[in-house]
Amino acid sequence: MSARTPVLEGGCQCGKVRYAFYAEPTSADVCHCRMCQRAMGNLFMATVGGVALDDFAWTSGAPARFQSSSVAERFFCRDCGTPLAFRYLAWPTISVTTGSLDQPEKGRPRKQYGAESRLPWLDEALQTPRVRTEDDPPPGGMAAIRSFQAGPKSDG
Amino acid sequence: MAEARGAGERAPVLTGGCQCGAVRYALYATPDKVDICHCRMCQRAMGNLFMAEADVALDDFAWIGGEPARFESSAQAERYFCGRCGTPLGFRYLEEARLSVTVGSLDQPERAEPTLQYGIESRLPWIDRILATPGATTRETVPGGAVLSYQDPNRG
Repeated sequence: MSARTPVLEGGCQCGKVRYAFYAEPTSADVCHCRMCQRAMGNLFMATVGGVALDDFAWTSGAPARFQSSSVAERFFCRDCGTPLAFRYLAWPTISVTTGSLDQPEKGRPRKQYGAESRLPWLDEALQTPRVRTEDDPPPGGMAAIRSFQAGPKSDG
Repeated sequence: MAEARGAGERAPVLTGGCQCGAVRYALYATPDKVDICHCRMCQRAMGNLFMAEADVALDDFAWIGGEPARFESSAQAERYFCGRCGTPLGFRYLEEARLSVTVGSLDQPERAEPTLQYGIESRLPWIDRILATPGATTRETVPGGAVLSYQDPNRG
């Protein structure tokens, strides 16, 4: 595995857990189901993958695992909490969370699951007024921010 | 960390918690603001396309079951999650007497519609288009027939 070149890489916010895909993802989607919403603490889950376990590796650290149902398990960083991956136990594949990719822009979703609990105002939420971080900076201002986020890219 | 001030005396306006149910919280006031943040730190921390959060004063907030794990993601901010199942639960600027909870961890996320978007400098370029992709319900797509959920059974 180590001799292969990663196609996509990612990891958690603190950088303790890192992963790599050694094959192109076969899927990229969002899931609106209530379990994914709750697990992500978010409006939906976005994942990239459907990659065979043989073409995936945790390249640094080890994630914590939570079996959220009889059919699925979820992985996250025990130190910073970043949700990292999801897989169905019956399938020899895994998907990672789009936002944990070093280049999330490469994981454009192509399909939506869990349509039964899709939040009714989701489209409107993305049409609300937009503010740049520097135009409404955190307390102390932009210059004072010292990020403890890890990753191969300083902004990622 | 907020004390459980108000618990037992005041009626919660909104409640929420993690997927496994080990950590629970309550808001004793209507959120002052509900927003989405697209900044790269929130994307990474959530493993998602953005963070969606509902903001209240610490005086109107309490952890009412369990204690969250905490990660200081910058010198200015800390994030809360369940150490057992990993659900991202909250965010707080250390200088401010306020806290925001993740919308997806609310028991009724539909009651917290975002009205503003932050961090648009890293808003994913295709995010509007993904919500127009084909959709499917969970019943049509989950493998293995009957699903036995290990999500906190008392809440949605």
